[in-house]
Amino acid sequence: MSSISELYDVSWEEMRDKLRKWREENYRNSEQIVDVGEELINEHASKLGDDIWIIYEQVMIAALDCSRDDLAWSCLQELKRQFPDSHRVKRLAGMRLEALERYEDANKLYDSILQDDPTNTAARKRKISILRAQGKSSEAIRELNEYLEQFVGDQEAWHELSELYINEHDYAKAAFCLEELMMTNPHNHLYCEQYAEVKYTQGGLENLELARKYFAQALKLNNRNMRALFGLYMSASHIAASPKVSAKVKKDNVKYAAWATSQISRAYQMAGRGKKENKCSVKAVEEMLESMQITMS
Amino acid sequence: MTQRSLRTASRASIGCARVKMASSFWKGVVGVGLFALAHAAFSAAQHRSYMRLTEKENETLPIDVSCNQLQDTDHLESHACVVFLDTASLVLCFQIVLQTLLAFVITCYGIVHISGEFKDMDASSELKNKTFDTLRNHPSFYLFNHRGRVLFRAPEQEPSTPSAQALPSNPLRLRKLENYH
Repeated sequence: MSSISELYDVSWEEMRDKLRKWREENYRNSEQIVDVGEELINEHASKLGDDIWIIYEQVMIAALDCSRDDLAWSCLQELKRQFPDSHRVKRLAGMRLEALERYEDANKLYDSILQDDPTNTAARKRKISILRAQGKSSEAIRELNEYLEQFVGDQEAWHELSELYINEHDYAKAAFCLEELMMTNPHNHLYCEQYAEVKYTQGGLENLELARKYFAQALKLNNRNMRALFGLYMSASHIAASPKVSAKVKKDNVKYAAWATSQISRAYQMAGRGKKENKCSVKAVEEMLESMQITMS
Repeated sequence: MTQRSLRTASRASIGCARVKMASSFWKGVVGVGLFALAHAAFSAAQHRSYMRLTEKENETLPIDVSCNQLQDTDHLESHACVVFLDTASLVLCFQIVLQTLLAFVITCYGIVHISGEFKDMDASSELKNKTFDTLRNHPSFYLFNHRGRVLFRAPEQEPSTPSAQALPSNPLRLRKLENYH
């Protein structure tokens, strides 16, 4: 089996930069991380310098995803040797125990970390993840709420809480969490769009209007967001088809839906230009939009 | 996905060599600019000390001239000398200023080329390419009880069951057979 660097003709610096990009942008492509990282560790360990420790951590977590327990164990041993008393390494040991489904041992480990350092956020988050892995979502929600009362600025935790609420179909509270995220990240179109989707799911005329407004806001922030465009079309169509609205509102929403339709067709045409199947796919899009029309049954 | 991403990386490696050559050129430009700046500073300091010296000569010159009235021609020559020295030093001064400004501009231009891509001022533009694929991943909350734990498991070697040898590449099926035993 030839190595990655032979297969794709890349140097070790590019592999290291790729790993850094995956790490910074939260990619969870564990198979590739294991392939690239394992080769970096085995062949180019001396050239990496101090970068190697963070690569060990990244590869270890990816190895746990891919069920490569041998690799995870060796990475953990190297890290333990280099940083014998580190809480971060203890947390990694706990994650390995979680992957092996030894939740009580993992809990004991995290409790010992918290005894040493009560402000350690990583250990608390892992305990919440253990509750979630065991299927105890209501306890996980309760613990996460308590955590967020103390650490209000933790965006990851707010997003995780919103996901937990969505899984429990508690859309009002999920919307609240997403509102917190939108307040701290006003320029992020994805939070706007997810909030609009939650509002759309809740249903009801006011929620649909709010959803349409936030879909429009997401489009204003990023006019290439296709989901927001489709969402605008759907919410405007729903409002226009609702019996309780005045004629003017109906007319306005039909206009919005028509605009959204034209934008969608144009986007698909632009995407498909130069390709042979363009005509068929454009026709398919038009048919799909027609079929999505809300009809009164 | 590895193939695509690493192939672009390999293509980038060829472009990288070109970029490295280009960046060493701009590094040379910055070096030359800084050297010219230092040279201009040094010559300005020298010029200043020279001006101090000639001014002292100017002050002492009239006293000498008043004492030596017989040396009228000398006085004229020295006066001409002083005038000539003044225009030369003016030109030199102008030259130093010009050199400073030029060196500054060259250094700035070179640094801009070395320092990498400019980022947009718009806060939302760097998020244009972000998708939910990566936004939804919270590394501190990763769970490991997913099907990857089973999918990627290497097939267990069981010499007692002959059917295991028949299906070595399908670990899920092996597990099902195990459950029946």
